[in-house]
Amino acid sequence: MRKREPRVILSFPATVDAMSMESYSAAHGVPGRLIPLPTAISAGCGMCWCAPITDREAVERAARDAGLRVSGVHEMML
Amino acid sequence: MIQVNAIGDACPIPVVKTKNAIKELNGPGVVETAVDNEIAVQNLTKMANQKGYGVKSEKVAEGRYLVTMTVGEAASAPEEPEQETCLVTPESAAARKNVVAISSARMGIGNDDLGGVLMKGFIFALSQQDELPKTILFYNGGATIPCQESPSLEDLKSLAAQGVEILTCGTCLNYYGLTDKLAVGEVTNMYNIVEKLTQADLIVKP
Repeated sequence: MRKREPRVILSFPATVDAMSMESYSAAHGVPGRLIPLPTAISAGCGMCWCAPITDREAVERAARDAGLRVSGVHEMML
Repeated sequence: MIQVNAIGDACPIPVVKTKNAIKELNGPGVVETAVDNEIAVQNLTKMANQKGYGVKSEKVAEGRYLVTMTVGEAASAPEEPEQETCLVTPESAAARKNVVAISSARMGIGNDDLGGVLMKGFIFALSQQDELPKTILFYNGGATIPCQESPSLEDLKSLAAQGVEILTCGTCLNYYGLTDKLAVGEVTNMYNIVEKLTQADLIVKP
């Protein structure tokens, strides 16, 4: 059975914002990856940024520095 | 915290007992269920995820597992236990020959950047399923995905570690100059691809 880890999830109001987060993170060494928004957060469609919980501050700062709109910050086992 | 003993209980009894305990909580709290098989762990985990409960599981001894659910303020109430069914059964988890056939590095037709993001998301979501496919086939543009520097490599290695067979078309690897770059799974040929597809119980093509 796969192992679940505590993660921070940044959700965005639009798919293009999530894709911009991926581009910014690749260029600036921000930890994490783009994943589909977990259904536990929303039954809707969308992509989100997922990183280890220990990197919460770094990813929130990166989103701010990139000028991206963030619609939610969540912590969950994933 | 309420402790539930579901050792020796077959599906759906562990889920039913756990739901009854959650109802007894009558609000936020923790329910810890002891079970003796992984299928029960999967069913309880799936139920918790559907209801929005926090959940963690651990194997405490051979044939002994503890599933701990944390019910928060916002979590939805469990349904009546008599409506419960087995979400995962040994037959569904192990016996079906489900095959995922990936023929492109992009999912769908339209914007290529979006298609790449969607395919990465598809493979991640696939790795998170309780019921994994038996085989994943990669061919044509899809053959680039199980190769070095692919953003999906970690997910594919996780799937392979869980017993999923990952097969990539050798002709395609050769065509794209990637024969030496395959990083997970095995090389296959058209006869094997045809055999896997024709003998599959279900073919998923994103």
